[in-house]
Amino acid sequence: MFNIDFNGEFATFFIFSAIMIIGAVLMVSLQKVVHMVISMAAVFLGLAGMFVLLDAEFVAFVQVLIYAGAVSILMIFGIMMTNHQNKQADPVKPLHETLAAVGALCLFGILFYAIRTTDFPDAQPLQAVEDNTSSIGQLLYTGYVVPFELLSVLLTVAFIGAIAIAKKGAD
Amino acid sequence: MDQLTKAAWLIPLFPFAAFLLLTALGRSYRLAGVLIASIGSLASLVMSLLVFIERLGPNAVDYSGDSYKWIGLGEYTLKIGFEITNLNALMLVIVTVVSFLVNVYSAGYMKKDERITVFYGYVALFTFAMLGLVLSDNMLVFYIFWELVGVCSFLLVGFWYAKPAARAAAKKAFIVTRIGDAGLLLGIIVLFWYMPGHALDFSSIHNVFTEGQSGTITTTITTSIALLLFMGVIGKSGQFPLHVWLPDAMEGPTPISALIHAATMVAAGVFLLARTFDIFEASAAAMHTVAYFGGFTAIFAATVALAQNDIKRILAYSTISQLGYMVMAMGLGSMTGGIFHLFTHAFFKALLFLAAGSVIHAVHTQNIHEMGGLGSKMRITAWTFAIGALSLSGIPPFSGFWSKDAILASALEENPFLFAVGLAAAFCTALYMSRLFFIVFTGKSRLQQPAEVKESSKVMTIPLLVLAIISVGAGFIETPWNGWLGSWLTDGAEDVHASGAAIVASIAVGVLGIYVGWLMYGKGSIERGAAGAKMPWLVHLLERQYYVNEFYDAVIVKTVRAVGKSLNAFDEYVIGGAVRLVGVTAGAGGRVLTRLNNGQTQTYGLTAIIGLIVIIAAIVGRRFW
Amino acid sequence: MLPSYLTMAAILFCIGLYGALVKRNAVIVLLSIELMLNAVNLNLVAFSKYGDVPSLTGQVFALFAITVAAAEAAVGVAVLIALFRARGTVNVDEFDEMKR
Repeated sequence: MFNIDFNGEFATFFIFSAIMIIGAVLMVSLQKVVHMVISMAAVFLGLAGMFVLLDAEFVAFVQVLIYAGAVSILMIFGIMMTNHQNKQADPVKPLHETLAAVGALCLFGILFYAIRTTDFPDAQPLQAVEDNTSSIGQLLYTGYVVPFELLSVLLTVAFIGAIAIAKKGAD
Repeated sequence: MDQLTKAAWLIPLFPFAAFLLLTALGRSYRLAGVLIASIGSLASLVMSLLVFIERLGPNAVDYSGDSYKWIGLGEYTLKIGFEITNLNALMLVIVTVVSFLVNVYSAGYMKKDERITVFYGYVALFTFAMLGLVLSDNMLVFYIFWELVGVCSFLLVGFWYAKPAARAAAKKAFIVTRIGDAGLLLGIIVLFWYMPGHALDFSSIHNVFTEGQSGTITTTITTSIALLLFMGVIGKSGQFPLHVWLPDAMEGPTPISALIHAATMVAAGVFLLARTFDIFEASAAAMHTVAYFGGFTAIFAATVALAQNDIKRILAYSTISQLGYMVMAMGLGSMTGGIFHLFTHAFFKALLFLAAGSVIHAVHTQNIHEMGGLGSKMRITAWTFAIGALSLSGIPPFSGFWSKDAILASALEENPFLFAVGLAAAFCTALYMSRLFFIVFTGKSRLQQPAEVKESSKVMTIPLLVLAIISVGAGFIETPWNGWLGSWLTDGAEDVHASGAAIVASIAVGVLGIYVGWLMYGKGSIERGAAGAKMPWLVHLLERQYYVNEFYDAVIVKTVRAVGKSLNAFDEYVIGGAVRLVGVTAGAGGRVLTRLNNGQTQTYGLTAIIGLIVIIAAIVGRRFW
Repeated sequence: MLPSYLTMAAILFCIGLYGALVKRNAVIVLLSIELMLNAVNLNLVAFSKYGDVPSLTGQVFALFAITVAAAEAAVGVAVLIALFRARGTVNVDEFDEMKR
């Protein structure tokens, strides 16, 4: 059904996707919170690998830096600062969980059906440029300079806000 | 002067404007309310008189006013218009005169009532409806106003709604007349169905039923239409067996009894007979039915009136009896007699009621045995009441004699049996009127507080005097030697019914009745209880009004109530059960849904996702079938 | 190749959705949301290479999304810490303020 020749790209893709799916499933099913975060880190890394596969080296680098690095650490800090008892004795809500699982599966079914039935154009794939980082940098500082600056403002506001919120109760 | 007839549609609008103003003003403007209503009815009166005088001229032709197109149904259009004929003009005068005098009288009678403005508003609305009824040029508009006067009657009978009896009487008046109205409506529908071109206006009816077009509508249909219309007459004009509401309607204020339940609204039935007289004339069976119903009602109500003790109920039964006379006259083919009696009766019965109201106002009771000896204290009331009573008893030269004589003369020609019935009723009439008069106005006082009684104020006595003058003089427009009214009403088509025998007989029974009454109740030479002692069952029968109410209660009301109860049970358990089931289902569904609304974000998210999936499934799923 | 990437993204997205709907610890819910955002990024980058009009713009947008997600994670954790101070718990099913 996939009509793909078993070339190098596909093999790599297969490995990365296996890592990511396993990581994601573990994240959902593990009991200890810290383990969940670590399995998430595996997903982030796998995704970074997939970005490399897609000739997006700079995005892969940022992914490793921010997700596998910053966000994971942030979450671990969050867990450490909140969940002292580390208790996971869930009063189970079977109906809710079943419905959520069915809903997620249905959504996946719909998406999969849409992907399978859509007739994607057979365009020439983007050729990998010599220096991905410099190309993106040029694009960011020419065509997308206003959103870029706005984003930097957003980040500043968000981080100051985060500090303010987290600090307020401490006093 | 022709302009005046064309503007006749204004006549009902004066009281209507008064009604609107009074309703808008509210209760605080007591004096202004009285003035507005009186001025409104005075304007109608003046205009009606002018129209009437114009009709007296030599070249008066029937005028049909411009019709306003109300509803168009394909080729057929329903119109609202007005019509002026001699009959209508006469009715206009009757209605506006009595209405205006009652307006004036009520200023005194209702002086202390808190809701006097409301009262005047209702009276103005009634006057509007009654004048509209008189002027209407087709059956449907007639029917609308017919119901409107019924509503006004309901409102005014129940005016003192704090009294349970008044509430009950108002309901009874409305429901009982409704039975007749249903018949009238059916009659109109049948008429609509069979009339050529579905015309409902009176002139077309006249043309169809008189001018030899007997082929268009068969005799059977004509008879059934006439009988259905007559049902409306029975209800509205208090004919047996639907007369029971009229005595109860005396719970309303006395001016209302005079205006609605003596002079105008109850006469609307007779007026309907006159307007559709051609239909009745086309069917002999219908005529006979009408005549016998009228005759029976006349004698029936007259005997009941003999044994009543409430001054207004006596007058009410007298009204029923006199309406019976009118209906009988119609049935005997004497439209002139019926309308003539309607005309005179309106004035002298209004006079009697207003005088009775004056008495009630003074002594605060309606039981005649608690009155007595009032003649010396209330001279004007007593004299005017006497004039009314003599007129009703048929003593010349008072107006009632001439009109009753006209009816009896035509009865003698057409149907000797009904003539005898009429004579007997006339005897009873004279007897109960003399009984009433002698007990109330002569003899010793049997009042609780005799000293307080004094004559009513001028605002109440002047209408009495005016009505008394009319009652004396009104009879001379149609006498055995001068058939002016008859030839004016029917364009000379109807001959004068003159009969020396009838005159002698009617005078004789009238005088005899009064004489017997005087012997029994005035002089006292016949023991009052003599007749009663010998036949207690008869007195009882009469006092209880032949047990008609009890009969209705036992047979009709109980049956209807049983049906109602079973329907109620059906409603309660079957329909109500279904409704409750729906309610319980919705409630249970609601409780289930409440649990969704538990304040937790994840539940909301889940609901949103499921909703999204359902929507996608609904949109995409169509591809698969 | 494109459908494979898209299917992969869909798998990640649905797992993330399930986690966000089911997990009781608010930190893990946040993580699940990050997972969903990552799935979107994968789509963006995949389209930037194999799309109808291949260009670097997709990668730029992925960068923007990563930035916003980082800001969101920072604010989210800060809110969680504040909540934990106020209520002593970060269990999502113990917050039902919206009911009132």
